Amino acid sequence: MLIHVLNGLVYGGLLYLVAVGLVLIFGLRQVVNFAHGSLFMLGAYVAYATIAIAGFWIGLLAAAIVLALLGLLLDRTVFRQLQDQDPIVTVLVTFGLLLVLEDFVRTVWGRDNLTVAVPQLLQGTVDIAGASFPIYRLFVIAAAAVIGAGLTIWLKTSRVGLYVRAFAADPVTTGMQGVDTERVSASVVAVGAGLAGLSGAIASPLLALSPAMGGSILIESFIVVVVGGFGSFSGAFVAALVIGQLQNFGIVFVPSIASMVPFLLMMAILIYRPEGLAGKAS
Amino acid sequence: MTSLPEKLIGAAAPRPLDAQRSKLPLLLALVVAVGGCVFPFVVTSTLTLSLLTQALIGAMLATGVGFLVRQNGMVSFGHALFYGLGGYILGVLVSRGIVPIELALILAIVVPTVLAFVLGLVITRIPGVAFGMLTLACAQAFYELALKVRGLANGDDGLAVTFPARIFGVPVSLLQDPHSMFVICWVVLMIALGSLWLLMRSHYGLLTFAIKANEERARFIGYETLVPRAAIYAISALLAATAGVLATFYNAFISPDMLHWTLSGSALIMAIIGGTKAVWGPALGAVVFFFIKEIAGDATEHWPAVIGGILIVVTVFVPIGLSGLLVRVFSGRRA
Repeated sequence: MLIHVLNGLVYGGLLYLVAVGLVLIFGLRQVVNFAHGSLFMLGAYVAYATIAIAGFWIGLLAAAIVLALLGLLLDRTVFRQLQDQDPIVTVLVTFGLLLVLEDFVRTVWGRDNLTVAVPQLLQGTVDIAGASFPIYRLFVIAAAAVIGAGLTIWLKTSRVGLYVRAFAADPVTTGMQGVDTERVSASVVAVGAGLAGLSGAIASPLLALSPAMGGSILIESFIVVVVGGFGSFSGAFVAALVIGQLQNFGIVFVPSIASMVPFLLMMAILIYRPEGLAGKAS
Repeated sequence: MTSLPEKLIGAAAPRPLDAQRSKLPLLLALVVAVGGCVFPFVVTSTLTLSLLTQALIGAMLATGVGFLVRQNGMVSFGHALFYGLGGYILGVLVSRGIVPIELALILAIVVPTVLAFVLGLVITRIPGVAFGMLTLACAQAFYELALKVRGLANGDDGLAVTFPARIFGVPVSLLQDPHSMFVICWVVLMIALGSLWLLMRSHYGLLTFAIKANEERARFIGYETLVPRAAIYAISALLAATAGVLATFYNAFISPDMLHWTLSGSALIMAIIGGTKAVWGPALGAVVFFFIKEIAGDATEHWPAVIGGILIVVTVFVPIGLSGLLVRVFSGRRA
C-alpha cells in the first residue's frame, strides 16, 4: 500500500513541476503554453544526449539550462510579440510550435524509444514496509520536494517572486505600480521552461523517451491547472498530488480505464466548483 | 467571456436586412454544389478522387470545428472525440452484429451529439483558453480508453469492420469506391454547409452571435445563454460524428488514431487556414490542407513541422484565413 502511495508521489511530484510552469506563465501573460509538454520532452532528450558524454548530474543541469534559455527565447519571440492580441492567438502559435518541436526531436533522435540508465549512485532498491522500492524513485520524490520548496521560497521571499504573485493577482494594477512586466516575464518563462526541462530530465530514467512523450504530461498538467484553479500555486500543488495518487491507484486497480479517473475528477470539480479548488469565485 | 479577436475568430453578426444585396454568391454556391457532383465524371483518376474524398471527410470535421469558433467563439482542441466516437459506435456495433446497420448508423450520429450537448452544459461555461484545454483532456481520456480496452476493438491494432452488403437498400460497396463516395461526401457536405448557413441567419443563430458578443447583455435582455452554447457545441459535434461515420464506411477500419489529438489539431488547423468567418472557409482549408500534405508528404518527412509552421504563419499574419482573403479580393473588385 505504502509503495503505491510512493509511486503516486513520484508522478504527482513530476506533474507539479510541469504544471507550476504553466501556472507561472499564465499568471504573468494570461496565456497557456501548449508547447509546455514538448519542453518536458526536450528536457529528457537534452539530458539523454548530455548524459552520454558528461554523466548524469551534468545532464540534469544541462537540461535545465538549455530549456531555460529556450524559455527566454520563447518569451521574447512569442509571448512578448503577441501580448496585445487575444490569448487564443498565442495558444495556436504554441500549438504550432508543439508540432515543430516534436518533428525536430524526431529528426535528430529518431522515432524509436530511447532509454536513460539510472546513475550508479542511485541504483538498487530499499525495503519499505516489506516491499522493495527503487532508490531512484525516492530520489525523484526528494528532488521534486526540494525544487518545489525552493520555488515556493523564491516566490515568497524574493522581489521577483513578489512581482510574480502580484501579477497573478492583478496584472493591470501591478503594471501601474511601475513593475517592469517584460523583465519579470522573461525570468518567469525561463524558470517555467527550465523546470519543465529539469523534470523531463529527472523523469528520463523512468520513462521510455519518444517524441510523443510530451503529449500525456501536457494533458495531465492541464487537468492539474484546471482542477487547482487557474493561476493558483497552492491549488496546483494539491491537485498534482491528488491526481498523481489517483492516476497511480487507477493503474493498479482499474488499469484499462485508469486514464478516465483524473478526467472524471476534473468533470466533477468543474460541475461543483467551476473556478477550481483554490480559484476565486467570479 | 468572449473578447476573442474579430479578425481571427471571425464574424460580426450577419445583417439579415441587406441579405438581398447580391444574388451572386448564392448563384456561385449553387454552381459549385452542382459542379462537384459531376466532377468524378470529368476527373476519373482513382488516386485523385481518393485523395479528394478524404479531403471532403476532413472538410466535414473542420466545418464542425470552424462552426464552433464562428458561432460560439470557442476553440476546440478535441473534436476527434466525436469523430472517433461516431466511427467506433458504427464499427463496433456492426462488427458485433448487435443491431441492424441502419440503427447503428443512427446511433453513431445521435450518441456523440447528445454526449456533446451534456458535456457542453458543463464545459461551455468555462471561458476561453481553459475551454480548449478541457476539450483536449476530454478527447484524450477517450483515446486512452480505446487504446487500453482491448476487448472493445483490439486496442492499438484497430479493427477492420465487415459491413453487410446493403444499408437502406443501397450497396455498401458504393461507399467504398472513391468514384461514388466522392459524390456522397460532396452531397453530405453541401447539405451540411447549406443548413449551417440557414441556421446562422435564423433567430437562433443571431442569438448565439449575441451571446458570443456579450453574454451578460444577452442574459440581461432575457435570454437563457447556456443551452444555446451547448446546442452549438452539439451541432459541431454532429458534424464531426458524421465525418467519423463517413470515414469508417470508406476505410472499413477503426483505430484509436481516430480519437487522437493530432487529428483534432489537424481539424483546427484546417479551419484556421481556411478562415472561420465564412461557413465554407474550414472546408476550403481542409482541401488545401490535404493538397499541401500530398505535396509535402512526397518531398519531405517533416510533415508535422510543415503544418505547424503554416499554422503559426497563418495565425499571426493572415488571421482572416484563405476564405477571408478570397472574399476581400472579390468584394474589392465588385466595389
